[in-house]
Amino acid sequence: MNKPNIQWTKLPRRSFLKGASALGLAAAAGGGFSRHAFADGTTLRTRAYSDMRSLDPAFSQGVVDEEIQAPIYNKLIQYQPGREWGWQLDAAQSIEQADPTHINFTLKDTIGFTNGFGAMGAEDVKFSFERIIDPALESTNKPDWGPLSHVEVTGERTGTIVLKTPFQPLWNITLPYIAGNIVSKKAFESVGGKIDTTPVATSGPYLHKSWEPKQKTTLVRNPDWKGEAGAFDTIEIFPIDDEKAAEIAYEAGAIDFTRISLDSLERLKASPPADSTVVEFPSLFYVWVGMNLDNPKLENPKLRQAIQHAIDVPSIMQASYFSGAEPSTGIIAPGLVGHREQSMTGIAANLEKAQALLDESGESNVSLAIDVLNKSTNVTTAQILQANLAALGIALEIRLHEGATFWQLGENKDLELILNRFSMTPDPYYATSWFICEQAGVWNWERHCSEEFDKIHADAQAEADPEKRAAMYRRAQDIMEESGAYKFITHEATPDIFRNTIVPALRPDGLPLYRYFGKA
Amino acid sequence: MEQTLKTRGETAQIFHHLVRDPLGLVGLAIVSIILLSALFADQIVPYDPVALNIPDRLQGPSLTHLLGTDQLGRDTFSRMLMGGRVALQVALPTIAGAMSLGLLLGMIAGYGPRWLDNLILLFFDTIRSFPTVMFALAVVALVGPSLNTVILVIMATSIPTYGRVVRTLTLSLKSAEFITAEKALGATNSRILGVHILPNVLGPMAVIAAMDIPTIVGLEAGLSFLGMGVKPPTPSWGSLLNDGYSLIRNTPWPIIAGGLPLIITTLGFTFLGEALRDVVDPKLRGRGGKK
Repeated sequence: MNKPNIQWTKLPRRSFLKGASALGLAAAAGGGFSRHAFADGTTLRTRAYSDMRSLDPAFSQGVVDEEIQAPIYNKLIQYQPGREWGWQLDAAQSIEQADPTHINFTLKDTIGFTNGFGAMGAEDVKFSFERIIDPALESTNKPDWGPLSHVEVTGERTGTIVLKTPFQPLWNITLPYIAGNIVSKKAFESVGGKIDTTPVATSGPYLHKSWEPKQKTTLVRNPDWKGEAGAFDTIEIFPIDDEKAAEIAYEAGAIDFTRISLDSLERLKASPPADSTVVEFPSLFYVWVGMNLDNPKLENPKLRQAIQHAIDVPSIMQASYFSGAEPSTGIIAPGLVGHREQSMTGIAANLEKAQALLDESGESNVSLAIDVLNKSTNVTTAQILQANLAALGIALEIRLHEGATFWQLGENKDLELILNRFSMTPDPYYATSWFICEQAGVWNWERHCSEEFDKIHADAQAEADPEKRAAMYRRAQDIMEESGAYKFITHEATPDIFRNTIVPALRPDGLPLYRYFGKA
Repeated sequence: MEQTLKTRGETAQIFHHLVRDPLGLVGLAIVSIILLSALFADQIVPYDPVALNIPDRLQGPSLTHLLGTDQLGRDTFSRMLMGGRVALQVALPTIAGAMSLGLLLGMIAGYGPRWLDNLILLFFDTIRSFPTVMFALAVVALVGPSLNTVILVIMATSIPTYGRVVRTLTLSLKSAEFITAEKALGATNSRILGVHILPNVLGPMAVIAAMDIPTIVGLEAGLSFLGMGVKPPTPSWGSLLNDGYSLIRNTPWPIIAGGLPLIITTLGFTFLGEALRDVVDPKLRGRGGKK
């Protein structure tokens, strides 16, 4: 009798269970997987913390869009890579402030748009800047242009930016950032005046080759660029939201540059992956605990002050930020005009003072809730706050939210405490703009409203004297803190890691300027 | 009295079968340890699981801290033990509630009129049509995370599992000869359901319940991992896993403290359920190691 070549054995359920358990244990005991080869030198593979949303400067949604727009468009001036904030010429041959409301510029004659849309001229500059303030376009970036009146074209490549009132942030956050990108008038008009994620014509050292949603954005070197050529044939930008995932991608050799998390900083500094360098930069972000002044539970100023004094920021720095960040004194980071050297309520908790203030308040059995975006750093911070307030006998409930629900919370008048974090540009005007009365319930979740604060915000943007301007912003932060609605925590930090085969070009806050990245 | 003695005898017989089966014995031992450690967690935790001790953060295992400490200096071993209590605080009431309602609805559907059967089946199918995790996330997003929300959501989505099995068993028992004889003798519907059908469906229910506990523990851990379960600082295996994930490159201990109990619980209850199934299902007796 012939035996079959394969003898099928019935696998009993119990045997399978036993086998699978054993296999699981064996796998747990083993582990490890091989690493991917490092990226080659002709392609820069890098990471953005979210996916691109728009390639139209009028609708750019922030850092991620700008990281892609900056290499493909030109501005009159660009941020200068380095440790101190400054700018350098880009499309402008020259630029000067003729008087507080007039800025004259002359364009280089070597910059042209792709797809046959010709040389960049002053008309393109006029179109690019004025379209953003055009109410019909409803640009989300209109505030960046502040009091722009118009751009006067005085020649083929010369013009004057005319402001209604002096506007100091122009040099810090308008011309060298999102709203300063220059697009082709003819190209945009040919597609109805605005674009989404497909550029109609660009002019920078790199071209936008493709965008694969949630996968990657690919830029390639612009062969017609007349300036210093981009160092890489290709730049691939991968949207990786999670910092840990980005670190694993880096260590696996899948990307050449990424920001890393503060909790990994010590480990990566002590033993960086092969041929890698870790660098640390201060960040401009600001994190604070806010208290909703419209909530009756928090209407007692002594209670708010007690909370301010009970919060122990050094503990937060240690546990949430792994001692990789410094406590902040306000919303304006060190290195920017208006930074305060000290806060009014101190950094470490002062429980005696907090208890005295609570006693003065006459409040007892206080029970509050704090709304927190569900990220591990925030959850850790919230638990420290909970312990800090518990020391005063205040019960604090932690309410975690996903991004979509958290960022809608401002509309909620019943908010109590909020652990919040805002991004920032290198001008104090950008920070104070969210805390004026008009923003109450929009981005001003504390609903703090002060006439003096609003006046400072309005006046300081026009103040040309840096000393006077700095004093005004310092006073603005004093007003915030005096209200008892704010306890400032930190500006965080930006540690980056990169392969030694590349020379990164970074802003003073550690964010990348890809157009200036080079090869080692 | 006679019924009680009979029940005691059956329980002893089941226990006897369980301990004779190596898989059952291991399962029983694991489940007993988990239950006891959860029950007496308060007494056996070496440290307050929510007390912050930041200077001692991220320590490795030692005699002082058996599984090290987390980013807030809390003793990971203590948090693991208390996490077990939270897991069972969710799993046991959920199972009890889902099983009770499933039994009630399943017996009504199987024994009652056709129209009621259809109505209850429609209810089961409607609940089953929602993916459990998505349903849980939606409810938690609406009403906010809490232990009670988690229990209610998982209970609601588990009812059809029990109800459908009970309905099928009731339908097959309904036409059994002993039920027909009871009816002929004038027994009421409630007596038939309570005295004759209920004891016959309880065995399979116990097996499903034992097998379901790891699923529910896993669901609770998943929701807590996502920040949608218990609120901080309450320890749960899911929140330990979350802490462990964010610290995975610094220390493996929080993730071990969150993951290992989940694996052991799953194995323990699955082993026990498998062994129970063999005991209560006469068709399987004599197979799988029992002679």
